[in-house]
Amino acid sequence: MPVALVDRLPLPNLKVYTAGSVLLLSVAVFHAVSVTSDPNWRAHTSLQRQKVMAGEGDADVVKVMQEVRTSSLNMSTNGTRNLTEQFVEVMTFMMQEPLCMWTVINIAYCGLALFGFVVQRLVFGRLRVAEAQRVKDKLWNFVFYKFIFVFGVLNVQYMDEVLLWCTWFTLLGFLHLLAQLCKDRFEYLSSSPNTWWWAHARLLGLLCFIQVACCCLLAGAVLAGLPATRDTFAFMAAECALVVVGALHVAARYVLQAASVDAAEPLAYYTHLCFDSVALGVELAHVVHMVVYSNMLVSMASLVLLMQLRHLLHALQARLRRHRLYTALASHMSRNYPMASKEEVEKNQDNCAICWEPMKEARKLPCSHLFHNSCLCQWVQQDASCPTCRRALDAGAGAGAGAGAQGAAAGAGAGALRLLDDGPPPPPPRHPGQLFHFDACAHVAVWGAPPPDAGRRHMESDRLALLYLSRRSRYVSWLPSFSVEVTRVRMEPLAGSQIDAMVRQVQAMFPQYGAGVLAAELAHTRSAALTIDNILEGRLPPPPPPTPAPTPPGLYTPLQQLLTVHSGRSEWSQGESLLKNKTPTCIVFTRMPNV
Amino acid sequence: MAGSALRRLMAEYKQLTINPPEGIIAGPVNEENFFEWEALITGPEGTCFEGGIFPAKLIFPPDYPLSPPKMQFICEMFHPNIYADGRVCISILHAPGDDPMGYESSAERWSPVQSVEKILLSVVSMLAEPNDESGANVDAAKMWREDREQFNKIAEQLVRKTLGLPPP
Ligand SMILES: [Zn+2]
Ligand SMILES: [Zn+2]
Repeated sequence: MPVALVDRLPLPNLKVYTAGSVLLLSVAVFHAVSVTSDPNWRAHTSLQRQKVMAGEGDADVVKVMQEVRTSSLNMSTNGTRNLTEQFVEVMTFMMQEPLCMWTVINIAYCGLALFGFVVQRLVFGRLRVAEAQRVKDKLWNFVFYKFIFVFGVLNVQYMDEVLLWCTWFTLLGFLHLLAQLCKDRFEYLSSSPNTWWWAHARLLGLLCFIQVACCCLLAGAVLAGLPATRDTFAFMAAECALVVVGALHVAARYVLQAASVDAAEPLAYYTHLCFDSVALGVELAHVVHMVVYSNMLVSMASLVLLMQLRHLLHALQARLRRHRLYTALASHMSRNYPMASKEEVEKNQDNCAICWEPMKEARKLPCSHLFHNSCLCQWVQQDASCPTCRRALDAGAGAGAGAGAQGAAAGAGAGALRLLDDGPPPPPPRHPGQLFHFDACAHVAVWGAPPPDAGRRHMESDRLALLYLSRRSRYVSWLPSFSVEVTRVRMEPLAGSQIDAMVRQVQAMFPQYGAGVLAAELAHTRSAALTIDNILEGRLPPPPPPTPAPTPPGLYTPLQQLLTVHSGRSEWSQGESLLKNKTPTCIVFTRMPNV
Repeated sequence: MAGSALRRLMAEYKQLTINPPEGIIAGPVNEENFFEWEALITGPEGTCFEGGIFPAKLIFPPDYPLSPPKMQFICEMFHPNIYADGRVCISILHAPGDDPMGYESSAERWSPVQSVEKILLSVVSMLAEPNDESGANVDAAKMWREDREQFNKIAEQLVRKTLGLPPP
């Protein structure tokens, strides 16, 4: 969307920008100084000031003018002019002259950018590529949404108001980006082996700084927003609150990690649940407030707002569903797999087979293998079998016991189905964190147990599709699964040139694949990234025979395409018969949260 | 959670350095990033790959050991169970729900009790005894079945290549 567009803009680097800004400022200051030291100007302004103050008639004007002129002439020639007085004069002149004022604003932004640079150097060092990319995306998204807010929702008319809002959002956005960086960096630090304590200390320091700065902004909101209107104050406060909650969440993770609370434990789970729901709730209220406040007819702004609202509702829904699944899983575990007794744990000399760490308390599976509660909990979401002996865990073991859990899960599953039927799947999670699954698995519906092509179903966006694919293989097989025929949405075929471009793109990475196969695959997936992923995951069969049967894409189901490509090869006959038995349906499974 | 993945990977690395299995060296590419390893596998004795030293890389997911790592040879390979790009096709590297070919029982697939050491040992035994039923490299599978002599010749060339020797 706007991000992609803006990304291509050539932005000057910080050095050039700073140099340019300083140059502009010095030109402006020089101009201001030269103008203000001109006696005529001084006389003129003083005159105006006096005129305004006194409001006198024209009779005295000439006299006053002459007085002022002589006095200023005296002052400048004598060189006794006060420095501060001159400074004040220069400043007032610059504030009145629009061009000069813009240079001052520009230098303020430049200063902020420099400050940001210093903070980045001090706290983060060199940014990793992913972090830089995330910050960039976040920045442009922020600018886009705030633009909509200022001009679409508030409908600001006057320049000074625009400037005030710009200042506000600049500071806020700055803190927002810092909070985002902290979050990314925390996740990185928690997954790298030897991090120094000062890396953590600096990060925590920055988090504190963000909190304090947010409080200052909030105070500003109270001072500036409350006298204006209550709505303005609410808007400002909500924005502050979002940043504070985000920063507090990262801090809370620090605390949890320091106390070595495992992510699957209830304490950690409920902490995350709390923060997630508060953040979502505040944001939802904020957007609803905007919609109500602006009270507008169909316009671009309302469209964007409604889209955001829908996104937030989906996210909230997904979060609640995950919570239901979590409770279902927890109750299932506690009912069917009892905690091992003290003697059993003591008798068992081995470490937990999942994390290789010693066990103080453990859960016991029917096959009498012991695991940590949290380790087992996470594994069972993926595969309902004992990790050690691979014995299947029977869901029906405690007939009545499992029923409740299954009922809840079934309800959630039905919800997932409904989502899929309704149209596009829910939008990507707000924080696609790789390390904390609490962030990563807002999606409950996954494409499960695919026939070879199921993963290659076209999706609305690459990122979404990739997200689904990456989660494809996890499901809880002891929960009821749903097998549904998904009616295929006919999409407009891509233009030949588009496909050709993508084929070249993919071939640059995988020269061993022929253009024909890739074209067929791309016509199907409609995205180079998805195709590459398919190749990497091994879903696209290895390079085809030199003369693949030319099949017009679209006429065949992907499965048939796959078979056509390989027809005439005896080696594939076995696979072919296997494939033929599978109808190209899409199976939707419910997936437990990755706790 | 990445923290537990990291602890487990460190434990495995420690074990592999203290008590290395024969013919296998493995460890993180750099100590900053424990989620990317490099391994050197020597070709098993008495097979056509004998004497070769084959480098491979392993990429671990953040939720390791719940999900299996990905393994890929970074030298040229010609083997029924290794794709042209070097990816290894063995059942213990497939996630439990994931069954690309449709004929593996779940007991053969990934489970957290597996480890880097077990994966590498399976790869060694795969080098020794290819499974020509799962055709990651169809040409190699066919040649292995029908023209063993030619297969051995190609394998020997690959071995020489990994050692930096000129072809015979
Ligand atoms: Zn454990
Ligand atoms: Zn067992």
